[in-house]
Amino acid sequence: MTMRTITAFFLLVAMVFAPAAVRAHAFLDHSDPAVGSTVPSAPATMHIWFTQELEPAFSWIQVTDKSGASVSDGTSGVDPDNKQEMDIKLKSLPAGTYTVKWHALSVDTHTTQGDFTFQVKGS
Amino acid sequence: MRTRPKETSRSRSRGAKAIDPLLSSTRLLHYAASALLEGTFVFWCMIAWPAFARTPAAHALRERLDRRLFALAWVSLLVAIVSGAGWLVIVASNMSGMPLASALQGSVLGIVLTQTHFGIDWIVRAGLTVAIAICLALQARTRSHAVGWVGLLAASAFVASLAWAGHGAATEDVPFDALHAPADILHLLAAGAWLGALLPLVIFLVQACRDMSSQAVAVARIATLRFSVLGLSAVGTLIVTGVVNTWFLAGSVPALLGTLYGQLLLLKIALFAAMIGVAGINQRRLLPHLADSATDDSLCLQISRRVFGNATIEACLGVFVLAIVGIIGILPPGLHTEPRWPLPFRFSLSEGFVRAYPTSFYASTQPYAAPSIARGAPLYAQNCVVCHGAGGRGDGPLAGKLSVRPANLTEPHLFAHKVGEMFWWIGHGTDNGVMPGFADKLSPDQRWDVINFVLARAAGDLTQHTGSQISTAAAVPLPDFAFEQNGAQNTLSQTLKNGPALVVLFAGHAPRARLEQLAKLQPRLAAAGLHVIAVALHPSTEKNPLIVDVSQDVRETLELFDSPADGGETELMLDRGANIRARWMASGAGGLADPSTLLSDAARVKSIPVAAANHAGHGG
Repeated sequence: MTMRTITAFFLLVAMVFAPAAVRAHAFLDHSDPAVGSTVPSAPATMHIWFTQELEPAFSWIQVTDKSGASVSDGTSGVDPDNKQEMDIKLKSLPAGTYTVKWHALSVDTHTTQGDFTFQVKGS
Repeated sequence: MRTRPKETSRSRSRGAKAIDPLLSSTRLLHYAASALLEGTFVFWCMIAWPAFARTPAAHALRERLDRRLFALAWVSLLVAIVSGAGWLVIVASNMSGMPLASALQGSVLGIVLTQTHFGIDWIVRAGLTVAIAICLALQARTRSHAVGWVGLLAASAFVASLAWAGHGAATEDVPFDALHAPADILHLLAAGAWLGALLPLVIFLVQACRDMSSQAVAVARIATLRFSVLGLSAVGTLIVTGVVNTWFLAGSVPALLGTLYGQLLLLKIALFAAMIGVAGINQRRLLPHLADSATDDSLCLQISRRVFGNATIEACLGVFVLAIVGIIGILPPGLHTEPRWPLPFRFSLSEGFVRAYPTSFYASTQPYAAPSIARGAPLYAQNCVVCHGAGGRGDGPLAGKLSVRPANLTEPHLFAHKVGEMFWWIGHGTDNGVMPGFADKLSPDQRWDVINFVLARAAGDLTQHTGSQISTAAAVPLPDFAFEQNGAQNTLSQTLKNGPALVVLFAGHAPRARLEQLAKLQPRLAAAGLHVIAVALHPSTEKNPLIVDVSQDVRETLELFDSPADGGETELMLDRGANIRARWMASGAGGLADPSTLLSDAARVKSIPVAAANHAGHGG
């Protein structure tokens, strides 16, 4: 028993030195337009990909212009084919800086939120 | 404070970090009640009934025990229902962002119950409480063992379904992901069987010791021996599945030592070890005597009392373990909180034990990408040039007056340092006291921007020595950047997910002939998995399908990788981790790569193993 326990604990210690496989809340993985990027032409849709599957009922994206007015066309939704992706359609955006706020509820019941901006270049 | 351009283009993200005492204590209650339900049925089916089967005369003892076990099961079921309902309301409140009272009313509960994984799990578990109640009522009336086994099945499902109420519900693209849910379920079942059956064992031993008849002592002896078999198999299962879960959730030594999640997990393991120690005393010291004591009632009674005492200690330790489980499930696991390294040294595979700092294992909150590098450049110019020099070679105007020469920030050695250590030096200064700390001048995000700029410039400098032969040795990474190609938005990192890339940089006149050659070749290159991205470092009107549209910050960043003497064009071959594996210049000895070289090099670069990308950029 004691020897087995000691062996098991050494095994445990050895295992935690193994490569990290991290599982946690849903965080932003990448977005289109990319975080902080300047895009030459106005995107029709904002896509955000997350590190985990989302609960559609409590996840949303908001896109606003400099004055804080919403520039979205409709409401945001989780992609039915890829639960890690959330999209929102955008109105025709003039040149300027836009703020994206996201609120994500992961299937593990944890909520995360964040914001970033992107710019549409003047033509 | 100086103005900082593009300050707002940073990505910020955050999760709830505070421990909610109401939620964690509700979870503790629910876990404990669920474990007791499973454990009571386990005790009936696997310990009490087989023990009584061999000593049918102990009828009165059996009746007294059953009465208490039924009371225990009903109370546990009631607590499980109430705490489960409480858990649901708290989760609904957290999910909707509404206060508890509002979450109770209206449609929030309905949406949570019908539209979330947690809610659906809770509906199933509510059904299981009904099944358990029916089994308990039927069993009390009929004393049927078959009903008891159905009850055990329902109670086990009730405990196992807790796996979908937390971190186990999520799937991620990690190796052996399919193992996580089964490991989680087995862990819950084993913990429920062992911890949950401890209290029934204690109750049983109290009754048996009170009885003092030789039949009672005999039953106690058999039950204790059977419990030790159950305990051993549960402990074995807990260790194996615990190792699997630790690997999935904590993931690394810094995460174990340096985050609240990891520290609580270590405390849980320590408490578990203490429980095993106490169980070990039973196993090694008491049980051998018990086996021999079949004919000696007083010895048997004495031993049973000691087993009773030890089981009580184990049960108390078990409550602490469950309290940790209650807290730990609502914390972000592992590396998603920055691990604060507690030791002044760390172990490096190449250098052995080296000096370490609290931030050694921090990951950058700002991705190694053009926007961050463009923000870092002016910050470097304002704060670092006086000592480290405009080119980063440690030759700034003040350098000669310092007792220690400022570090040359363009040497390959720079990449041997952890970014978390550079973060510490910029914030708090170096150990020799010559370099001051900038924590009061630069925000954490700004320090990461400076680090990204310094790394990109060093990478650009070192690339000047990269030749046209594919290098499988250490290579420096090209920063990520966004671009538009044929009307679609893309980034370098997304492109590299599909295979290696050839990045063509040109300043001044576009190398029209070369771009046309590459464009013609593109179907064959694409078939070989190589993507070509051509970037004009000065705005250009040249039309070619390979030329992508980029913003000014991307041009400034990629200029670090261009050489004025390149004859008008530089081509960089990137592996899937964005590391620069080969470089050709129009003015180089062998000129630019011919089509067959590009194709064979792309195949070689594809085969170079790339370490998992540092998943930085979403902390803070």
